[in-house]
Amino acid sequence: MTATTAERRVREFTTLARTTPGILGGFAVALVAVALLAGAFSGLSVQSRAQALDDLATRSGPLSVAAQEIYRSLSDADATATGALLSGGLEPAETRKRYEDDIAQATTALAIAVAAEEPADITPGSALATLSQQLPQYAGVVETARANNRQGLPVGGSYQGEATHLLRATLLPAAQELYRAEAGRVDTDQDRAGAFPVVELLLGLLVLGALVAAQVVLRRRTNRVFNLGLLAATAAGLVWLVWTLTAGFVVMADVGDSRTQGSAQVDVLAQARISTLAARADETLTLVNPGNGKSYQDDYVTVSRKLGTLLATAGSLATSQDVQAKIDAAKADSTAWANAHDALRKADDGGDHGKAVALALGDAGATFDRVDADLQGAIEQTRQAFSANVSAAEGALAGTVVGVSVLAVLVAVGSVAGIWRRLKEYR
Amino acid sequence: MTRRATAGLLAVFAFALAGCAPVSGTTIPQVSADVPAPAGAAEVTSPPPAPVQSCPNLLASRRPPSPMPAPGQMPAGSTMAKIVQYGKLRVGVDQNTYNVGFRDPLNGRIQGFDIDMAHAIAKALFGDPDKIELHAITSAQRIPMLQSGEIDIVVRTMSITCDRLQQVDFSAVYYDAKQRILVKTNSAIQGAADLGGKRVCATNGSTSLSRIAALAAKPVAIGVPDWTDCLVMLQQGQVDAVSTDDVILAGMAAQDPYTRVVGDPLADEPYGIAIPQHKEDFVRFVNGVLAEIEADGTWTAAYQRWLGSLLPGAAPAPPAPQYRD
Repeated sequence: MTATTAERRVREFTTLARTTPGILGGFAVALVAVALLAGAFSGLSVQSRAQALDDLATRSGPLSVAAQEIYRSLSDADATATGALLSGGLEPAETRKRYEDDIAQATTALAIAVAAEEPADITPGSALATLSQQLPQYAGVVETARANNRQGLPVGGSYQGEATHLLRATLLPAAQELYRAEAGRVDTDQDRAGAFPVVELLLGLLVLGALVAAQVVLRRRTNRVFNLGLLAATAAGLVWLVWTLTAGFVVMADVGDSRTQGSAQVDVLAQARISTLAARADETLTLVNPGNGKSYQDDYVTVSRKLGTLLATAGSLATSQDVQAKIDAAKADSTAWANAHDALRKADDGGDHGKAVALALGDAGATFDRVDADLQGAIEQTRQAFSANVSAAEGALAGTVVGVSVLAVLVAVGSVAGIWRRLKEYR
Repeated sequence: MTRRATAGLLAVFAFALAGCAPVSGTTIPQVSADVPAPAGAAEVTSPPPAPVQSCPNLLASRRPPSPMPAPGQMPAGSTMAKIVQYGKLRVGVDQNTYNVGFRDPLNGRIQGFDIDMAHAIAKALFGDPDKIELHAITSAQRIPMLQSGEIDIVVRTMSITCDRLQQVDFSAVYYDAKQRILVKTNSAIQGAADLGGKRVCATNGSTSLSRIAALAAKPVAIGVPDWTDCLVMLQQGQVDAVSTDDVILAGMAAQDPYTRVVGDPLADEPYGIAIPQHKEDFVRFVNGVLAEIEADGTWTAAYQRWLGSLLPGAAPAPPAPQYRD
């Protein structure tokens, strides 16, 4: 009994579906479904692109800066503390201030990097855990070194040596690891944000295709050429397709620029700056720890050669006159520094430690500071280019999700209204 | 703002689809501190070969020339003449051993008892004690740097041993040191017999380290690059004792009033000035200088200036030189 009723209902439905009103009703339902679903998924795709851009602007971008800042300020803190040891028990006030500022800078950047992570991700042994645990240890050993040094006790030099070892063997590698991870995230976010808008293109075409098909069928069945509702829906569909595609292409271009004008250059410049800091640390350590002077000098040679290569690469990547000028200045200053370093080594190898120390704290220190300032300026400018491109991309996407939602509703409403007019004629 | 609102709506939608993800509580891991250690500090796992105990004429060096050449007028073709021609005496020294060879943080200069000896030799060569290049080196670098010719002599708390005599030559003894043990004042260690299982520090390449590793009580020997690294590790509680020559220990005790030297001497450590092999004329010359400064009171003055306040008792007589012609 029930089976027969069901069969009859199916038969009635199939008969109805074969009639024109049935077909038109089906089209109305299908068009609404396609418009709303396509609108939802298109919106999601645009939203994930916007999310990636937001990450670039507020997360991976700033965090890679924070990671680099940790490396830089720690490295500079140690070179400064070691240099203070060279200058004798009465360390100059500005040296002390520089060290303290470096530590403050490093801990602030570390706090920012830590705050951006989930608590569960800070596992023992991870870069952030290592930095958080060992930075206070480092500062403690440096203060012990200072206290002893102030009393004229040579054990102060050994404490500083222990602190430097902790920094070079543990803290700097962790900071480097952190920077690599954050730079990797910038890259991933750029890939996500700058992908070809394939979802938007396919969904837009699907909506338009469905609307065209509906109009073709409607024309055949009712012999009416134009249907105002469906025409309006088609227009809305076209606007939708053009809008999402244009936004997608603009974002692709902007993200590409954020790479070439920004992050790719920042990466090379950051490495150059790290090499500069490492070379300066080596230079100071050859004087503090002459027993291992040779290994530090060998490392200095390796690192400064790397610095030359990186500056050349940075020069070839530079896209703005200002950055190019800064890199040229860095090249010139690093040559001056290399000359000061040679003079310093010559004095020290000749047994004139006093002159070598004077050079390290004078000429060599001053030229190092200039190279560092040049690179910092170049990094600053490329970072600005990066941020400008990312916010331009964000601007291109502004309102797209809302627009797509409204257009999807318009398509749905237009389709229903258009088809409803025809259906009414069958009453 | 609108975009964010939409994002929120979509997120709610996605959550409803995916179902609520399980919320896991964050546990705070229990961690213990990684204590920093001086660079290159390591437990000695394969003990260096125990020092050869005896060899004939260990302490007998070459007899000084008579008369000694006047400063600046060295015999033509001699090792001394070459040094005078170079213009400076290149000396391998320590910069970390308080009052023996150390860099004074207050003026940045390396000074101490060993350094006074080096200046005396420069004065005999040039007539000017400051014609000198001080190269701060580690214990382990002493013999390689002499052999490579980078330095002319080593005056760096270096004991004369049979093993070393096979690689370098030595002057007559200029200081008689004894290997002893330094502990914190509250330590229960009274002597070598109490060192079983304890961590005991000495520099790599030193005779002290070999002797610690060979002790019957079987301590754990910890090797470091410089002597003050041992004091750092003792103060940080990473080692229980430091064992080396009494002068070096006295220098450490002077930097930390909460340490003391305990026990009987473990061994004699006769210090000599090391000179590359096949430079017999220079060995004789250096011995002549040592004989002169021991006779004219320079040696005693240096002892009183640097070591008198660190070591108990009056200044001892300079060690009597032994020669084998």
